[in-house]
Amino acid sequence: MKYFILSYCFILLLLLTSVVIPDPLFTIPKGWPKPNYSFTQNQLSQSKIDLGRALFYDPILSKDSTISCASCHNPYTAFAHTDHALSHGIHDSIGIRNAPALLNLAWQKSFMWDGAIHHLDVQALAPITHPAEMNEEFSHVLMKLQNKPIYPKLFYLAFGDSMLTGASTLKALSAFLLTLVSANSKYDSVTRKQTKFTPQESNGYKIFKQHCAQCHKEPLFTNHTFERNGLPLDSILNDIGRMKITGLTSDSLKFKVPTLRNIEFTAPYMHDGRFKHLHEVIKHYTSGIQMNASLSDKLKKPISLNPKERVDLIAFLLTLSDNNFIFNPKHSFPKMIFFKNSESGKIYGD
Amino acid sequence: MIWEENKSFHLMDLSDEKSMTILLNKPIDLNFQTLCFNIGIDSLTNVSGVFGGDLDPTNGMYWTWQSGYINIKMEGKSPHCLTRNHEFQFHLGGYQSPFNACQNICLDLQNTVSHDISINLQDLFDKMDLATQNQIMSPGKNAYILSQYFSSIFSVHLK
Repeated sequence: MKYFILSYCFILLLLLTSVVIPDPLFTIPKGWPKPNYSFTQNQLSQSKIDLGRALFYDPILSKDSTISCASCHNPYTAFAHTDHALSHGIHDSIGIRNAPALLNLAWQKSFMWDGAIHHLDVQALAPITHPAEMNEEFSHVLMKLQNKPIYPKLFYLAFGDSMLTGASTLKALSAFLLTLVSANSKYDSVTRKQTKFTPQESNGYKIFKQHCAQCHKEPLFTNHTFERNGLPLDSILNDIGRMKITGLTSDSLKFKVPTLRNIEFTAPYMHDGRFKHLHEVIKHYTSGIQMNASLSDKLKKPISLNPKERVDLIAFLLTLSDNNFIFNPKHSFPKMIFFKNSESGKIYGD
Repeated sequence: MIWEENKSFHLMDLSDEKSMTILLNKPIDLNFQTLCFNIGIDSLTNVSGVFGGDLDPTNGMYWTWQSGYINIKMEGKSPHCLTRNHEFQFHLGGYQSPFNACQNICLDLQNTVSHDISINLQDLFDKMDLATQNQIMSPGKNAYILSQYFSSIFSVHLK
């Protein structure tokens, strides 16, 4: 009996640590679901997060050392590429898709607009090696990092080994990306009953729940599925979306449902950045949808909104802006790592 | 009884002789009749993130633009290929059903300490038509079919 109780306690403890606290350095916001990321395979540590942050901001990852991850994922626009419809690579190459915001990635089940990448740990390989992005060989990135004085030290602090590997490099990047949690918008304060919506926002929320929330499911504002949203094919980009991955014609023109958190900062919108303003997006969903058999079920019934309702809906969407996230000093360029004379740089200095 | 090697992943490169020998740390008194192995990476490992060692993505056996391991790379030249420099290039992999390309192979063994496992590439090329198919670089049906050809070219003989 004693053993039974002991093992019961042990199981309870395991449950507590694995469900409630996935990692001591990672907090699940109240009322949010369990993250999808398996923290047991990549336990967070401050030194691992610091290393990942340095890698994220270091253009050494690209072939000619001109662009970093942050070039297209700017912290001050929720890690999206504001004003740029399509992603930019070295030599001003232009890709075919809009660089998405990076936030709440621990809950995301797949990555890229078509879900081509199935795990956060391998995501960075795609932009590093893509000819229209960083156009670099991953093994060559490792060689360059090994030869740059700050990195062997940072890797030693993070992994206890100054010889870096592909796996450790990618896990460090994940560690930093996992800390990018946005859960402090006005919407969140309202849910926590710390503040109230204005009547306009409140009406916008009602409209949102009626027409948008099935795909842009709270609290993450995405249901992590792929949907065909009625956008006509851009004949120049010719991007068939999810079908490229599954080979199924029923997946043609399906793209991942993006989160709407911080949407105020992440213009232009849609997978190819075709809309500059939120009112254009709403116009698409109310009058621009191209009918098709594989159109999302949730869009088959037409959505009709009068001008006031459209403005109210936008007012609600703006409550998803999280300034604490945007201006979090822990997310920005780590000058104390790159410039050892600045503030706390002594930890990493010679 | 089945004895399994722990974390059993071996990247083998025909141009690197050292990589072609595998030492198994099996119990000394173990008698065995059959040797089973996979050519390729199982689907669970494929979706479980990033690994080091022989599974490190820097080894060139990982698809960067669509996550997943490349199980087999075979590249070369043939007069049958009407391609640039008569080259053929096969990168085979894919873990998603129905085109899970990982091949399970079992060979009957004599109970001796050391074994040579041969691959008969002639068998493989006899089944292929290089004139019509000389390039596979992504997961899917073609990679799956060609991977199946690989499962029959292994044989074992006493050392």
